[in-house]
Amino acid sequence: MSASQPPELPEEPSEVEHGRPAWVEPPADVVPGVVPVELVLARTPQRAIGLTGIRAYPTGFGCTIHLRLREVVPGEQSNFGAFNMFGDGVDPAGEFADYFLRFGVGFADGRKATNLDHRRDLDEVRAPDPPTLRLVRWEGYDLLSWEVDVWVWGLPPPGPLALVCEWPARGIPESRVELDAGLVLEAAARAMPIWPDQIPP
Amino acid sequence: MPAWSRGPEGTVPGVVPVELLVARTDTYAVLVGGLLVYPTGFDFDLAVRRRPGRPREYRDHHERSWDDHLRLEVRFADGRAADNDFRRWPRTSGDQAPDPPLLYQSTVGDDGGHVWLWGLPPPGPLTFACQWPARQIPPSQAELDAGLILEAAERARTLWPGEAPP
Repeated sequence: MSASQPPELPEEPSEVEHGRPAWVEPPADVVPGVVPVELVLARTPQRAIGLTGIRAYPTGFGCTIHLRLREVVPGEQSNFGAFNMFGDGVDPAGEFADYFLRFGVGFADGRKATNLDHRRDLDEVRAPDPPTLRLVRWEGYDLLSWEVDVWVWGLPPPGPLALVCEWPARGIPESRVELDAGLVLEAAARAMPIWPDQIPP
Repeated sequence: MPAWSRGPEGTVPGVVPVELLVARTDTYAVLVGGLLVYPTGFDFDLAVRRRPGRPREYRDHHERSWDDHLRLEVRFADGRAADNDFRRWPRTSGDQAPDPPLLYQSTVGDDGGHVWLWGLPPPGPLTFACQWPARQIPPSQAELDAGLILEAAERARTLWPGEAPP
């Protein structure tokens, strides 16, 4: 009996996703070009920091940082998770500065972005000046092995691109590897739009 | 953690410089990328991208059935395959390694997730197949030459080879 059918309710309007600001994360509608870097940035008898797989977009690039601890040292605060703590009310230049793993990128024109930089609110009205560096994923189940994906908003100019890390409290001095930024720029040029017919906003 | 549940801790993986567009509809795209290869298997990102300007569909996670998830299957050239249906996860003890390939999606969400595949493929085509009925993503697939995976596995580096811990 149709009389028993409830009236059809109007559909709730769905929220249109406008996307986050470009400096927050890689663009959703682009397939990146890849630079197959496989680097060990730093290695001590107990720890190592690797960096792999630069994914380049027209607006910036990302990569994966591998944090490795050879064995758990009893009583030592070895947690690589300290990497994530900047901005949570911790002053990276303050009392505990040496206890943080520091990571950054340096461009040939002198500009740089690091995980020491002031953390910004996502809804900040004015976009920061590139480059900026943000953590976009981290994953690990114990102290031995962590993967951290970072997003650098802003492409480097031609010349050397420096990838730098340092962890004073754990015996890792400033360690840097330089790449030819041209590799990143060429990969960014290979990035492809997923929906080529899309009208840019 | 058991050896089959992730890449070996003391190793920096080799990279496969490929991003695969596995599926694309008017609203969604599914990408496989960030392939990082260890001697025992490989990691990758499973990324669901939503076309900018398209509405986001909200669903109550508790009411989801398996049909509401993105299904992923990885197929080897010899016919072996593994998928992300967690109901098929083996109930082995940590010491007893399951037969490869085994696919473990460590994070699951509307944006995709991160995947570990235990076991290296034999030479030949390696197929990534996906579908998501609830999002109208039909069965779709993309292939990769497994040789790229095997070459990257050769480049994976052991960080502390043959040294006793200090």
